[in-house]
Amino acid sequence: MEVVKREKIFPVAFLRNVFLQPETSSLFMLFVLFAITAVLQKNFFEVKSIARNINSFAPLVLLAMGQAIVIISGGLDLSSGTALSLFTCVLTTVMKKGDPITGVYALVVTFLVAVGTGVVNGVGIGYLRIPPVIVTFATSYAWLGIALFLRPTPGGESVDWFKVFYNARAVEGFPDSVKLVGSYIPPALVLVLLGCLLWYVVSRTRTGRYIYAVGSNIESAYVSGIDTGKTQMFACILNAIFIFLAALFFVGQNQSGDARMGGPLTLKSIAAVVVGGIALTGGRGSVYLALVGALILGFVSKIIFFANIPNAYQTLTSGIIVIAAIAGPAYAALKREWR
Amino acid sequence: MGVETLVKEHETISYGQTLWRKLFAQYGKIVTVLLLTVILFVFGGVMVPGFLSLEQIFLTLKLSAFVALFGLCQMIVIAAGGSGLDLSVGYTATLTAVLTASVMNGQNERLWMAFLIALVLGVLVGLTNGVLTSYLKLPPLVVTLAMADILQGIVNAYVAGKAITGRPSPFLVVLAAKLTGRFPNILFVLIPVALFATFVFEKTKWGQVLFGVGANERTAYLCGVKVKRVRFLTFTLSGVFSSLIGLLLLGNMGIAFKDMGSNYVMPSIAAVVVGGVPLAGGGGSYFGVILGSIFLQTLTNLLTAFGLGDAGKWLGFGIILFAMLSVYASNRRSR
Amino acid sequence: MVVLEAKNIKKHFGGVVALSDGNLRCQRGRITGLLGANGSGKSTMSKIIAGVYRPDGGEVWYKGRVVHYRNPSEARKDGIALVFQNLSLVPDLTVWQNVVLGVEKNRGIFLDDREAKDLTRRILQDLSPDLDIYRKVYELSPGEMQIVEIAKAISEEPELLILDEPTAALEQAQVRNLFRYMRTLAGKGVAIIFTSHRLWEVMEICSDVTIFRNGATVACIDFDKEEKDPEKIVSHITGEPQRASSLEYMSEEGVYDEVLFRAEVKSMRSGERKLKEASFELRRGEILGIGGLAGQGQNELLYALAGSYPGVRCEVELEGRRMRLQRPQDAIQHGILLVPGDRQQEGLFLEHSVYNNMIFPKLGFPKHPLVIPERHYKDECESIVKLLSIKTPSVDVPVSALSGGNQQKVVVGKWLSFDVKVLLLADPAKGVDIGAKRDLYEYIVHLARKRGVGVVLYASDNEELVQYTDRLLVMYEGQIVATLNKGEISDDTITAVSMRVR
Repeated sequence: MEVVKREKIFPVAFLRNVFLQPETSSLFMLFVLFAITAVLQKNFFEVKSIARNINSFAPLVLLAMGQAIVIISGGLDLSSGTALSLFTCVLTTVMKKGDPITGVYALVVTFLVAVGTGVVNGVGIGYLRIPPVIVTFATSYAWLGIALFLRPTPGGESVDWFKVFYNARAVEGFPDSVKLVGSYIPPALVLVLLGCLLWYVVSRTRTGRYIYAVGSNIESAYVSGIDTGKTQMFACILNAIFIFLAALFFVGQNQSGDARMGGPLTLKSIAAVVVGGIALTGGRGSVYLALVGALILGFVSKIIFFANIPNAYQTLTSGIIVIAAIAGPAYAALKREWR
Repeated sequence: MGVETLVKEHETISYGQTLWRKLFAQYGKIVTVLLLTVILFVFGGVMVPGFLSLEQIFLTLKLSAFVALFGLCQMIVIAAGGSGLDLSVGYTATLTAVLTASVMNGQNERLWMAFLIALVLGVLVGLTNGVLTSYLKLPPLVVTLAMADILQGIVNAYVAGKAITGRPSPFLVVLAAKLTGRFPNILFVLIPVALFATFVFEKTKWGQVLFGVGANERTAYLCGVKVKRVRFLTFTLSGVFSSLIGLLLLGNMGIAFKDMGSNYVMPSIAAVVVGGVPLAGGGGSYFGVILGSIFLQTLTNLLTAFGLGDAGKWLGFGIILFAMLSVYASNRRSR
Repeated sequence: MVVLEAKNIKKHFGGVVALSDGNLRCQRGRITGLLGANGSGKSTMSKIIAGVYRPDGGEVWYKGRVVHYRNPSEARKDGIALVFQNLSLVPDLTVWQNVVLGVEKNRGIFLDDREAKDLTRRILQDLSPDLDIYRKVYELSPGEMQIVEIAKAISEEPELLILDEPTAALEQAQVRNLFRYMRTLAGKGVAIIFTSHRLWEVMEICSDVTIFRNGATVACIDFDKEEKDPEKIVSHITGEPQRASSLEYMSEEGVYDEVLFRAEVKSMRSGERKLKEASFELRRGEILGIGGLAGQGQNELLYALAGSYPGVRCEVELEGRRMRLQRPQDAIQHGILLVPGDRQQEGLFLEHSVYNNMIFPKLGFPKHPLVIPERHYKDECESIVKLLSIKTPSVDVPVSALSGGNQQKVVVGKWLSFDVKVLLLADPAKGVDIGAKRDLYEYIVHLARKRGVGVVLYASDNEELVQYTDRLLVMYEGQIVATLNKGEISDDTITAVSMRVR
């Protein structure tokens, strides 16, 4: 004899299923924060302030997306902030003001350095199988050291056209058409889109899938013939490229390199990944969720700023909000576990 | 590495070999650290005049003691498994120092009050961390990180505008900063703590249950252990200890300032790893953690002594740490 | 036609010799069985052929030439596929993604997903048509996962297929499907190597058997030429002289009429799929079996009885006292002790010593002294090791160094210093070699008959149930659907009732 349980009322079950997924709940939160910011910031929808907002969000978005890739592959990168600083220092050391071609050299050299940092982290995590927290902790000191060597104090030089990565209109030599486009589409947005495109392409290839496989269960992946070391290293290199893009933005904005500027961003990028709904254990979650998470954190900062919370309380508030941001879905997941 | 699991599934392996592997995993790393530390000292002694002097050695021991004490907090949390980690130890200590400095005001009379405040604060922080990580199952990395932010915020708010006043009581200063002859008094704290901690870890049910939870929480659960409670308690303990260490930091520095504790956080984790405690939990020796702290401090001293400035110091630190970790890791992979 | 011949294979790991003289021959279109205890070398043999290990001596001839594979991928490319026991599936990917994992085809620079999905559907058509290829593997039952593993191996159209204990997680219906599929494959000329701890399966599906013992091949029996004699085969495996069928029923002596234990288990969650409700009585000294198709709630019932299955209400009466079991501690402190189904994941701390594992449950007790009385406990531990014949050089050795059977003995042993009233066993002999299996059951029967312990035993192998239980409850879809008494318990009957035929 079987007792047939009546299905729960459709809308309730549907709503619960939708909102209690970590993915949708973060999107929902983003929407809410977006709305609040729009209300608080009076000129929110003006082109200028949209551009300014995009500019302030972009670096964390890029770092978070890169971090997400590493995390999904089963790793973690505690060196992203210092790597960012390092790249800015390399850029501003290779470039010589007034000599436009050095900008190109700088791009190439820094790109290679970025790949190099990815390789080092990748070897540590993927081949030597050192716990990622520790190996990237070690490498972050190495990056800091090299950065300090290049730029003991913030400074360095930058060519004029490099400003294109921040504000196309500021570059003197550009034709007006480019400047016009640049005023509507902030270069920061282009950089983010570049990043998204890069990930999109990779995610449709074998390596993209292997990144998920290795993060989900590295033994199964190995036994299925996947080169797990290479895959994790590739993820680290991808991360480095995202950090490289963020560095371009910073140098475009400040025309200088600073060995210590990136520090705080590291942990923020990890928080962004978690807030976006990606599991720290790896193997699942869409990289674009990190984008959502970074935006959430970005809007939180904006709201704190516009709500006129005194300076002293800002870190306090953001800390509480981060906890709330991840506690919500976690509590919901707990309830779901009683299946 | 994956194939190793396949081997163990179906085959009988030489007992001697696995025993040796376990012994090495446990003690080999400690021997390695000890050896490397000695090598560093000798190297330093040759290259840098005065490096091997008794004063220098004691100074190193004194500086590493603080890292080692924070390392105890980390070891407790890490040993329970579940990706345990406490990034809030630095600011817990800082906040305690900041709050109690003005209470004590350079007198011994109010020391007990400071102690009480430290306890309460530590329990509050630890409890919150514990609830969020254990009962709400949030990742400790992010929770303790956010907690550190919150504590930093509180410090900022408390301090807003005015300078931090107050001085530690002379007792704390003597205990933390001063020497008896040439012997740093802080070691009078570290050594009993080390002995007591090791005893608790190895010989009491608390320590063994802790390691069991870290080794396999499901097995521990089925044996009747309240896993969540154990993990919750580890964070509470970590909070209390780090808060008390804050008092010692205050004693050592003489005043409280905003970034007092934050430079100890990552080194405390590094000390735990270098000392051979598995990050996944389930085992480890506090003695190894202490050795790890000494090694890291010696390394830093050596690099500073070479006069390379910050750049060389950090680069060297990163490279050597990386190299050490490679050696550890390669000992795990064998076929 | 011989497709594979392995001659005089030697393999050692560190100081241990896994194979001293391994020989094997496989022919196209035939299913060769590999039999042998754990540690006999049969698994090592399979893995050497599949390229997972490299032999230290001897030769492997495949398709007419000597081969030296450096890794499984090379063997795969050559047409040799090894099906693991759920060790090669990635939980967060879907069924179809797993089937092509590692060998995905490209269309341009991107993955050809359409091709992959088609291929998966084609293979599963014959194996298991109801399986949704879009489901993520972590959602699947162990049996379904095993099927995906098999599909994965077959997707590359191997010429030699090695199945390493594929039936361990399958239920009877799935086993029959699998056998049917294997015969089809064999009909297409594929050579198959099949291992299982269940003798009857090997005898049913294989055309010949190769038996390993202590690292060497000791017998090859061709079923076309010789008759199938289970006793003879067992004696080859264990190395002991044949003895008369030991499948006698246990005597009734030692089973008392008094009811020791009554249990009422009921699920509280509306969406509960695994365990719905069950209630039964247990007499002192009785061994009560739980059977049925795999995954019908047997494990869950045992967890519930041990107070460790959330979402069910478990009310019991033990020696006249009523209580509710909500947490493991509730059960443990009253002497209701569980030996869980997965010893490595649930029963042991693999890196800890035998001693540490043995004393651990005691430490959880609130009344336990703070300081551990080491001397006393070490002695106790040693005596349990002796009692159960646990083969280990010392109690300080990490438990990961022991063989499966001895590990299982440790899992049982850790409860022996308690005052056991009811012993719950979730498939205690799974993956355990014949010798250890015998030791374990001997002790279990002793506990029941001589010490008056009530035993609740779930076994996935019907033979164990036939041999060792006094009464049998058959479960289906989370409920008890039948009770078989002493004379009625036979493999035949159990299977029929499990499948709701009778």
